Amino acid sequence: MPATTQDWDERYYHVDQILEKPGPRTDPGFLAGDEVKEFLREKCKILVIGAGGLGCEILANLALTGFKDIHVIDMDTIDISNLNRQFLFRPKDVGNPKAIVAAEFIMNRVPGVTVTPYYGKIQDKDDDYYMQFNLVICGLDSVEARRWINATLVNMVDPENPESLKPLIDGGTEGFKGQARVILPTVSSCYECSLDMLNKPTAFPICTIANTPRLPEHCIEWASVLEWPRVHGDKKMDTDDPEHISWLYNQAAARAKDFKIEGVTWSLTQGVVKNIIPAIASTNAIIAASCCNEAFKIATSSAAYLNNYFMLIGTDGVYSYTFEHEKRDDCPVCGGEALDMSISSETTVEQLIELLIEKQDIQIKKPSLSTPTAQIYFQAPPQLEAATRPNLTKKVSELVPADGEITVTSTSLPFSLSLRISYT
Amino acid sequence: MKESQDIETATTALSPTNATGPPDNKARRYDRQLRLWAASGQNALESSRVLVINGTATSTSTLKNLVLPGIGHFTILDPSKVTPADAGNNFFLNGPHSIGKSRAEEEVRLLLELNDGVEGMADTRSLEEVLDTDPEWISGFTVVVAHNLDSKLLDRLATFLWSDDSHPCLFVIRSSGFLAEFYIQYHEHAIIESHSETAPSLRIDKAFPGLLEYAKSLDFKTMDPTEHSHIPYVVILVKALEDWKAEASLPHGGLPPQTYPEKQEFKKSIVAMKIKPDEENFDEAEAQAYKCWTSTTVPSEVAELFQDTRLTNITPKTPRFFVLLAALKEFTQQEPYALPLSSTLPDMKSNTENYVHLQKLYKTKAEEEKGVIKKLLAAPVPSDLVDSFVKNAHGLKLLKGKLWDALNGDKEALANSVGTLPKQVSAHLALSALATFHSDNPTATPTVDALTAEAKKILPELLEGWDDAVGEVVRAPFADLPNTAAFLGGLVAQEVIKMITKQYVPINGYCVADLVDSWTGVI
Repeated sequence: MPATTQDWDERYYHVDQILEKPGPRTDPGFLAGDEVKEFLREKCKILVIGAGGLGCEILANLALTGFKDIHVIDMDTIDISNLNRQFLFRPKDVGNPKAIVAAEFIMNRVPGVTVTPYYGKIQDKDDDYYMQFNLVICGLDSVEARRWINATLVNMVDPENPESLKPLIDGGTEGFKGQARVILPTVSSCYECSLDMLNKPTAFPICTIANTPRLPEHCIEWASVLEWPRVHGDKKMDTDDPEHISWLYNQAAARAKDFKIEGVTWSLTQGVVKNIIPAIASTNAIIAASCCNEAFKIATSSAAYLNNYFMLIGTDGVYSYTFEHEKRDDCPVCGGEALDMSISSETTVEQLIELLIEKQDIQIKKPSLSTPTAQIYFQAPPQLEAATRPNLTKKVSELVPADGEITVTSTSLPFSLSLRISYT
Repeated sequence: MKESQDIETATTALSPTNATGPPDNKARRYDRQLRLWAASGQNALESSRVLVINGTATSTSTLKNLVLPGIGHFTILDPSKVTPADAGNNFFLNGPHSIGKSRAEEEVRLLLELNDGVEGMADTRSLEEVLDTDPEWISGFTVVVAHNLDSKLLDRLATFLWSDDSHPCLFVIRSSGFLAEFYIQYHEHAIIESHSETAPSLRIDKAFPGLLEYAKSLDFKTMDPTEHSHIPYVVILVKALEDWKAEASLPHGGLPPQTYPEKQEFKKSIVAMKIKPDEENFDEAEAQAYKCWTSTTVPSEVAELFQDTRLTNITPKTPRFFVLLAALKEFTQQEPYALPLSSTLPDMKSNTENYVHLQKLYKTKAEEEKGVIKKLLAAPVPSDLVDSFVKNAHGLKLLKGKLWDALNGDKEALANSVGTLPKQVSAHLALSALATFHSDNPTATPTVDALTAEAKKILPELLEGWDDAVGEVVRAPFADLPNTAAFLGGLVAQEVIKMITKQYVPINGYCVADLVDSWTGVI
């Protein structure tokens, strides 16, 4: 049965008031009336990445505003701690895939909408898959996944084919705070351009953990980073397994007692090892609504869309800031220009790799390095890794001339970064 | 604002046994929010009763965000039947199956699926009937939320709720297409746990005797080098400041560094204490050296609260916040003329032993000062409330509110806002003009001219952004767009949670949102 026969009279009474006439700030190219409604309800195909806190809200908003061909990807299953905000899930759904449960719920509640779920990773899909959509909305909690989809959509842009440019709308929340942004790959600032805006994750120096703990967190890190591998060897720690958390808690509590440190609890242990970020329904609602509102405006041209960043802080009143984040010419994904990097002539290849992992605007987990003419160090495959390993202890200055270029690639990210090296 | 709590307070009160073992199902379900407002906030939510008037999409979006975290009870007051338009824009109606049924009943049924710990009621009386026959019924709620209410009825409701300061606070929400605003009507809102991001003073400039003795007892020069690199910066600064002040023969004798050259000299003297270049504790001390010349006093926002006339006559009926405030005021009028010491010590370079020792010094002194506060209390206050008050003393807030719509009658306040927030005031005026016009002409279609005439009655000189605002309102008068509804539902629910838990800081004014240009602002 075609989707449109499910529409009852006045179904879109509210939305149609916007689609039937322009407002004072609407672009003159807006095709008010049936044409825009037909595009939105019958032709537009939208992808939602993440069916969690933001994803549930995004799916409901899109369905109500008239998007009828929605796809959703999520690799997670439902946990009881999701139920305080992920409102498409019920206690009976715990353990089932989020994407599938969410899609079924939306299709039951909002007639005529098709939601196609994929229970798996975004990396499983290729360019052909992403090419079929008009828009992509992300509600993710992982920096890594955002970087991957951002780089993938930027790489997909073919200047000869305007259809290859897929607007990416990205939302994120933490407690009472959040942000929503619109990325036009290659045109506006991309996710990678703003990497340095992320808060640096709290990392405790290993010597503090090993020798001079002061906080309960230091004792918990000791239990998970040092004691777990020492006692359990290769057995992997599962932070979702309460027995594993209990073991870590007991180790951490014993150490805290030895050092007269107070405050190790089971819940803190879980929070530290899982890096739990507080999350509530209301903040997700604000940010998801903002993302969907931009998607609606882009899909219909009924009003100008966000250029390009909206951030909200709800802890002290309602504070928000809307601004244009600038594109970076030396962005490794969308910039094209080489990034200048100055290092000591004594710096070894191994130290340079450390630097690339640490540096706030790069943060590449496992970088492989080469020059236009030679391989410096490759993380994989194993034969190549073994062959290039001797270079790790060599000085970079022995391998690369001043103002020479190093190409950095990563197995986890589809991009390569050019570094122009100078020596001090 | 500091959001994450220490998890001990976040979970132990909810179920005292779970500090050492896995949490029960309820604590697991609420884990991500307990890390924001702790068991005390959760208990407040679970005791709250929320009344929502008009079961619109904005109303159910708001309620969804309150049922999920677990308010105690909600009632939807709405006499209407579900229309085809309602069934299309409201997620908490069952599409065409709900058409013709009671809107309140359908919504309550679907909202209750979200959380079986919440109680919900549908009341199919009209607000008019309730105000005529049983207005006191409304005062049994904690919070009242009203969306796109007729403006004459809204005025009656607001006036009734304002008439007694024990009545619930009122959230007024208005929206029209891409434009929206909301307001919280309350007389006064006192906040102890504001989750201030400003750290309390460590009182390095006014070192308490125990800390001073400890710092003086250490001889940096003869110390073992490993020990030397593990002296906490607080101790380094206290000692350096003491040495500096002791040089009485110098022009600055007895005083902390005052001038820029003196401050530079002081910092240099700290760096000069290093015995190895990589002693990070001395780097920390240099970076924190300003704490030696930043005088620890009562923060001005807290000092302002001391002016309240209620502090001079404490009776058994005085709210506890003011009983505590009176004791705090008296405390700060004695040496060392500061707020009571905080027992939480930030992390710093140190070995375990020195850090734990320093922590103990702070804790002991903080307990002693809390004891002084307790003795100053003129009426009984539960001990855990005193603890919380003292711990959060540096971030205390007392918001004073106004009657709904007072702004539109206050020419001076309006003129002040116009200067700094023209776009925001334009959007507010456009929504006000639409509400008044519709109330006076229920069947007429609002036009730009008609609304402009209406707005000029409030503010004769229209301003920048007026055309943009009024044009959007006329484009879709009272349209309850799903995205605008969800956006407002999120903002309003955040504020309802802040009002109920008395944690974090709610708005004091009109929060306006424009979803064409994607901004919010508070007038």
